[in-house]
Amino acid sequence: MTRMMSSPKLGASFRDPSGFLFTRQGVLYRQVNRSYAEDYERLMTSGLYQKLVKAGFLVPHQEVDVPPAEAEMAFKVLQPERLPFISYPYEWSFSQLKDAALTTLAIQKRALKYGLSLKDASAYNIQFYQGKATLIDTLSFETYREGEPWVAYRQFCQHFLAPLALMAWRDVRLGQLLRVYIDGLPLDLVSALLPTRTRWNLHLYTHLHLHARAQKRYADVSLAEARGQRKMNRQAMVGLIASLENAVRKLIWKAGGTEWAEYYDITNYTAEAFEHKRQLVAAWLEQTAPRLVWDLGANTGLFSRLAAERGAYTVAFDIDPAAVEQNYQQVKANRETRLLPLLLDLTNPSPAIGWRNRERESLLQRGPADLVMALALVHHLAISNNVPLESLAEFFAEAGRWLIIEFVPKSDSQVQKLLRSRVDIFPDYRREGFERAFGQYFQIHQAVPLRQSERWLYLMEKT
Amino acid sequence: MFLSPLPLAAFLLYLDPGSGSFLLQLLIAGLAGLGVFIGSQWAKIKRRLSKQSASTAAGETETDDEDDEQS
Repeated sequence: MTRMMSSPKLGASFRDPSGFLFTRQGVLYRQVNRSYAEDYERLMTSGLYQKLVKAGFLVPHQEVDVPPAEAEMAFKVLQPERLPFISYPYEWSFSQLKDAALTTLAIQKRALKYGLSLKDASAYNIQFYQGKATLIDTLSFETYREGEPWVAYRQFCQHFLAPLALMAWRDVRLGQLLRVYIDGLPLDLVSALLPTRTRWNLHLYTHLHLHARAQKRYADVSLAEARGQRKMNRQAMVGLIASLENAVRKLIWKAGGTEWAEYYDITNYTAEAFEHKRQLVAAWLEQTAPRLVWDLGANTGLFSRLAAERGAYTVAFDIDPAAVEQNYQQVKANRETRLLPLLLDLTNPSPAIGWRNRERESLLQRGPADLVMALALVHHLAISNNVPLESLAEFFAEAGRWLIIEFVPKSDSQVQKLLRSRVDIFPDYRREGFERAFGQYFQIHQAVPLRQSERWLYLMEKT
Repeated sequence: MFLSPLPLAAFLLYLDPGSGSFLLQLLIAGLAGLGVFIGSQWAKIKRRLSKQSASTAAGETETDDEDDEQS
């Protein structure tokens, strides 16, 4: 037990016997077990590792000479390049999940050429590394044996194709089902939820509807019985991957029907007020020089980019799938490497889920950030969601050290809009009450009224 | 080259691939593989017709690396 305590295994790292992740003195390592030695060596010596890393499909690692966490099983210890923030599929926009799916298939195609194959296709094995969907699990490869089907086919359909199809064909919000079903969506449920017309789509009919029926029909049949003597040659495997790729590529979601015009509340600022806000945020970012920034309520990332341009790895959270989608499209178009747009409802942020609630971390477990930005956000939480100001302050103090926060007073038309259809039960929602509440957790370094506006911008530091 | 004489059970998988999923993909892959085969034959015929026989090898290398860069 002491061994475990000095080098704890990561909570999600128990399923695959090939190895596991552990941390020691704050450094992340991956132990490769002896049972996986042959496959690992093939990955490294075949040229596939180099090819995938060069193409940005696989996170690089170094073999290091440090004691393993569980010596009796150990073959090697790797030190993978550590990512500044781990995100989960239910926090991704449609195109982020789609790109993660295409990356998985692109890797499988290349692996086959080098005599290897992916033994899993979990969406949790993909992260956004330098702006691109990238595989982080170095131990996902096994030697390809011609004749064998793709063992990860079911997982690919459940983790990627099924949620993408629902998002594209039914409602983009159904991506949130991934938060409930940690091993991907049950195909019978997906088949029932998809519109009937998807049955006329050959790819969706076979990989989802027919797949669901096959699962039901053969539920009590052993693998050997179901399979018999059938083999799947390489050409068939290539065909299967191509078919999945086609299916994914054809799924499109257009970020329409949302209030694009209202992004950034442009109507609530004069050009001068907006510029003043921009300058203040930029100056305070330079003053505090954060390495990790969380921009909460980031919209399409205009202010997030101020942080990313100044060298901070910036996670831009928003509740609106269309805003996150548009932000991600910008990241791709501009090849931005330090900006990660994510979907998040702050009134119900991502919880810790999975086995013992330790496989996927909650939002706050993945913090704290060096700096949190909450611009044009407080009124949504305090008024729309009735969160008391003290509770808000406590949350922000947990989320990061520095805080750039905008106070939007009751007189502001955006707040008036929120109060229009309800009783004003927020007597404390004034600047004095705001400062008193936040003063309990933060030292207020700066408080600046925005020019030509009733809003105030604050720079605070956690006490 | 990597064909192994091991029976299926010897390299059984840490994930359950699902009996129905296994069977279904064998069927789909058979058809899709046929598609790949027909496609490649058709490409060959087209290449011959257009008489650009000079760079068969170069053409193959190109498809090999065509999508190494993600969009």
